[in-house]
Amino acid sequence: MELTDADLVARVLVDDDQHAFGELVRRHQSAVRGLLRQLTRTDVALADDLAQQTFLRAYKNIRSFRGEARFSTWLYRIAYNCFREDARRRKELVGIDEEQLQTQHDPQVANPGLRHDLMRALNLLPLNERSAVLLCCQNGLSHDEAARVLDIPLGTVKTNVLRGREKLKRMLADWGPN
Amino acid sequence: MNQVNQEDWLDRELREAAPYIDDEGFTARVLQQLPPPRRGHDLLRAAILLGMTFLASALAYVVSGGGRFVSVTLERLAVLPALWILVLALVSGLVIAAVGATAAISRERGLQT
Repeated sequence: MELTDADLVARVLVDDDQHAFGELVRRHQSAVRGLLRQLTRTDVALADDLAQQTFLRAYKNIRSFRGEARFSTWLYRIAYNCFREDARRRKELVGIDEEQLQTQHDPQVANPGLRHDLMRALNLLPLNERSAVLLCCQNGLSHDEAARVLDIPLGTVKTNVLRGREKLKRMLADWGPN
Repeated sequence: MNQVNQEDWLDRELREAAPYIDDEGFTARVLQQLPPPRRGHDLLRAAILLGMTFLASALAYVVSGGGRFVSVTLERLAVLPALWILVLALVSGLVIAAVGATAAISRERGLQT
């Protein structure tokens, strides 16, 4: 019988079982790294560094996981905080912000496929809409769970998802069903 | 209807745009960076328990006049009827099983919470 996330967390808490924590990392690494790759606009190296930070922070703070939300939701929240802290630090260090990053993307780049266009369209969304769309539409979180991860009101999440989707639909109108 | 189809199409594409990322040593790298497990605490706890057990045993031996109560108890048991010994063994077994089951249940509850 396969152990649930809650069982594995309990083993880490009671016995400091690092094998159990390893199993949790194996289970969730793809989702966490995937989310961070999208948030960092496919900067794979940075995303993996942040993912490592996320899991290390999760291990150190595992006693604060109360089991009220899914373990994956708790991890997403840590990942998002790591991303935000890093973005703030980078902005302070080199003066790069979201708006500047958006203009770095050349809209004239050849786009051979829908996937490429979708990625580009996602990257053009403002961070608040991109995060909400990624969490709700791509990672399957409910609006309520996304609100917890992003630490914003539920209504704001709904608005951001709606706006993000509208923008994506407009940008990808040529690919959509007629 | 068209709106619904378009939303479904967008959701599907978004989900498919997030393929599974192979581990490729990621988990191992994370585990390497974890702080060492709390083995020290476990060893200390075991040492304290063992020390207390030895101390209590030594104290009981001295207080009881060189463990005389053991030989007295054995002598008393030897003169008991066989049925009494059987009942005594059964009751002792049940008590030990109950204590073990209680400990196992409380540990399981601890893991769940």
